[in-house]
Amino acid sequence: MHKFIPYVFKSLWRHRARTLLTVSGTAVALLVFCFIGGVQQGMLALTAGEDAGRTLIVFQENRFCPQSSRLPQDYESTIAKLPGVQAVAPIKVFTNNCRASLDAVVFQGIEPEKMKAWRDVNLESGNWNSFASQDDAALIGVDLAARRNLSVGDKFTIGDVSVLVQGVFRSTSAAENSLIYTHLDFLQRARGANDVGTVTQLEVHLTDSADPDAIAKQIDQEFRNGPVGTTTRTKGMFQADTLADLAELIGFVHWLGYACVGLVLSLVATTTVMSVQDRIKEHAVLQTLGLRPLLVLGLVLTESLLLSTLGGILGVAGSVLLLSSAGMSIAAEGVTIAFEPSLTLAIQGVLVAVVVGILAGLAPGWHASRTEIVSALRHA
Amino acid sequence: MPLVEVHNVVKEYANGEETIRPLDGVSLTVDQGDYVSLMGASGSGKSTLLNLIAGIDQATSGEIVVADTDITKLSRGKLADWRARHIGYVFQTHNLIPVLTAYENVELPLLLLPMSSAERRKRVGIAMEAVDLTSRASHYPRQMSGGQEQRVGIARAIVANPTVVVADEPTGSLDDETTEQILTLLSRINTELGMTLLMVTHDADAGSRARRKIRLERGRLLENGKPVSLVKGQTAQLHTA
Ligand SMILES: Nc1ncnc2c1ncn2[C@@H]1O[C@H](COP(=O)(O)OP(=O)(O)OP(=O)(O)O)[C@@H](O)[C@H]1O
Ligand SMILES: [Mg+2]
Repeated sequence: MHKFIPYVFKSLWRHRARTLLTVSGTAVALLVFCFIGGVQQGMLALTAGEDAGRTLIVFQENRFCPQSSRLPQDYESTIAKLPGVQAVAPIKVFTNNCRASLDAVVFQGIEPEKMKAWRDVNLESGNWNSFASQDDAALIGVDLAARRNLSVGDKFTIGDVSVLVQGVFRSTSAAENSLIYTHLDFLQRARGANDVGTVTQLEVHLTDSADPDAIAKQIDQEFRNGPVGTTTRTKGMFQADTLADLAELIGFVHWLGYACVGLVLSLVATTTVMSVQDRIKEHAVLQTLGLRPLLVLGLVLTESLLLSTLGGILGVAGSVLLLSSAGMSIAAEGVTIAFEPSLTLAIQGVLVAVVVGILAGLAPGWHASRTEIVSALRHA
Repeated sequence: MPLVEVHNVVKEYANGEETIRPLDGVSLTVDQGDYVSLMGASGSGKSTLLNLIAGIDQATSGEIVVADTDITKLSRGKLADWRARHIGYVFQTHNLIPVLTAYENVELPLLLLPMSSAERRKRVGIAMEAVDLTSRASHYPRQMSGGQEQRVGIARAIVANPTVVVADEPTGSLDDETTEQILTLLSRINTELGMTLLMVTHDADAGSRARRKIRLERGRLLENGKPVSLVKGQTAQLHTA
């Protein structure tokens, strides 16, 4: 079989225009497939994960956009006293765009010490002390820095908020790489609005033995009679609820991923059928020389496999490049989903291409191997 | 013991209500080293008989024994293996693989046999030499003349040293001069390389080059005007074997 591989390559090369079109079509479809997979994975990373289940977010009752959730900051001390609560971080969230947007910028105002204690971030440039000591300082995520072309020392303004970049960080959680951290009191005072004393949400960190659901209930119970009612959920639940609309959309887009696979199948199958029809006589000649029917099937399969695998590898590589270089994310209501490439996804993409290549070649290959030699030889 | 034994072979085609029977109980033996030409009117069944002996078509009934193997009993896969070892087929139109060079076309049949690449190179070299095309080894079919292509086709047919070389109107689409060249080449393959040759032709002049001249008429074979049949003793031997 392997001795005939050069023949397969030469046959593909002979119709290079057709080969190129099929490979590039496959590549585009697999790029979309992997891109969609990347978005889904970003979504999953937000709602799963250890942090998502062990951290509570307290939000104002019946509010969805960060702009409209206003909790008294002193809830912090009440919650901190509850058994099972390890620490509470009051956070002010400001976003330039509350709707779903590819270009939303999300500020989180948090006290620097609390940020240091509870956020798993690594400074890639800049310096922690200048952030902690300067009022309008900001730490920005690497993806945002790349997207907006920002670096340490830059000043930028979004909405009415102007900050000075004092550090660029990378977080273990990809979604955070699109965030901007500022001091809590800075963000409370910004935009002229007098928000001092109110926060958007409270982040509650629990002890290892605490039951998140029980404590969440307890917190909501505590503030039921005011002054402001709360809704407390695990971070995963909070993000899932916030992103519910988007999640539905992403769930739908997921079908487009399958449609891409179908597209590749029909594309590669069409090309293979054409290639087999072009060579009815050639295959008959090869069988006359003594190639077994199964070998002919194998040659056709190899051809379709090469087409789709090559396209698959290119598409997967393209999607990895796109996902990793652009640091893309989508944000809604102050929560960001990062689209991240992953090895699993890449392997999945190539595997899909391989399986599709085999499926696409089976029927035409079978047909080629079963053709009556004598009547095929009469074929023009 | 003859090399090829065709015994009482019938080939029928069902064509709606009527049946065509181009071969109606054909028997023939060919000895090692024979050069047999097969002539007859168009549509008389020459190609059909040749294809049956070459193992690319199935007889309706009868036996075909080549080098002790009854090929009518082989499965498709086994038959393909058998063809690779025993048959060299020269087509009317060369039927070279267009994406392969002359050298690679000639090498094709050897890829199916257990053989080192050095051995393959040697054999392809000998075959290309035999058809006097060594200088064209790296040319593609479209870069060669019809006669050269046919010579590559002949080299491909003889390269694996087959038991029988069959040729179906090998000069059917060539001009007179090239026809002469090819016929001389085929004669040399028979005389110098000692290969057994079975050639279908409608050209009496071409047919006369062969040592045995057989005609196919109304489904039956005639040699020197007399019906061809197996010698009685051989028939008995065939059935007890
Ligand atoms: N697949 C088929 N279905 C029906 N009839 C067929 C088929 N193949 C061949 N025949 C018929 O069988 C007969 C013998 O055909 P064959 O090709 O063997 O003739 P031939 O002697 O080689 O003719 P020519 O000299 O024109 O090549 C013809 O009458 C032909 O029409
Ligand atoms: Mg014929």
